[in-house]
Amino acid sequence: MKAIRIILQIAILFAFSLIGEGVNNLLHLPVSGSIVGLILMLICLTFKIVPVKIVEDGASFLLSFLPLLFIPAMAGVMNYPALFSGNGLVLLLIVVLSTLVTMVAAGIASQMLENNANKGKENDECNKHLSQS
Amino acid sequence: MQQAFIAIIIILLTIAVYIAMTKLYVRFSYPILIPVLTTTVAVIGLLLVFHVSYDQYMIGGKWINSLLGPAVVALAYPLYNQRKILVKYSLPIIGGVFAGLFSGMISGLLFAEVFGIDRDLILSIVPKSITTPVAIQIATGIGGVPSMTVVFVMVAGFSGVILGPKIMKWVRIRSYLGKGIAFGSASHALGTSKAFEYGELTVSMSSVSMTLCAVLGSVFGPIVVWIFHV
Repeated sequence: MKAIRIILQIAILFAFSLIGEGVNNLLHLPVSGSIVGLILMLICLTFKIVPVKIVEDGASFLLSFLPLLFIPAMAGVMNYPALFSGNGLVLLLIVVLSTLVTMVAAGIASQMLENNANKGKENDECNKHLSQS
Repeated sequence: MQQAFIAIIIILLTIAVYIAMTKLYVRFSYPILIPVLTTTVAVIGLLLVFHVSYDQYMIGGKWINSLLGPAVVALAYPLYNQRKILVKYSLPIIGGVFAGLFSGMISGLLFAEVFGIDRDLILSIVPKSITTPVAIQIATGIGGVPSMTVVFVMVAGFSGVILGPKIMKWVRIRSYLGKGIAFGSASHALGTSKAFEYGELTVSMSSVSMTLCAVLGSVFGPIVVWIFHV
């Protein structure tokens, strides 16, 4: 019974991804169909157009083996053996370095802003205490 | 009929290797043993040993691949669960995503310029931190080579997932929010799959960053290239 429910729920997720694809083709958006599908699904969940109940099991199931779904696309690298010698290695090094720069910048910026936001809240609470006293 | 048989064998084999590699990772849990990397290496190894081409592998592989679309849609579920946190921390999210997006694209351009890389390859590096289908579109738009971009996107994913935890420890990115935004901005969906090891908050931060990067990258990618007129 649970298996059937999961399959049906994945079918709903599939439908959203196809609708996203359709919207994309229609409006010539620069993003991919599945990203449009994600945004549509989030809107539908937020406004209770789609109840969470009818997707949660399927979504959890699918996300529980997310890495498996990347394997076929990843294996495509076998068609580019040249990348792993000479000039190719320089390219890979650039990508690795630039990725780490990205991570550090995104992580530090968001952590700083998060701390600021939390500090702001604490100050508000202090002020509240002060005004009460 | 024969095609279907081949497809089923390929799918089952891929799943079997993935399960074995996941067991290995749970047992030893070194970052380098992350299942998506070890499974990819093992699958490529098997294909080379048995002289199976990538196109032949994709007879079965495309079925697994086709679940990526619904899986990306499924990320709406953790996002929905964390919606209050997302609204509360919208400023750190947007700030972090912009910092990651621009530093990623500009550092890629600069490093490539320093090493004297060809123009079309430089342009292929620009969208590397953005999820594959969108990165392909951006690369095509700015004059890169899409198939190279696919490889760079993959390398950006792996390097973030494998080296990320160490680097973040060094630079003291400790908050789950910061880690999630770093994973999503630098390593897209692959980073998001790693974020599952840190809990739902990190997953939703990572997937919202990945989504924002995809949308904003499509807009700002061509602009960054134009400003630096490569």
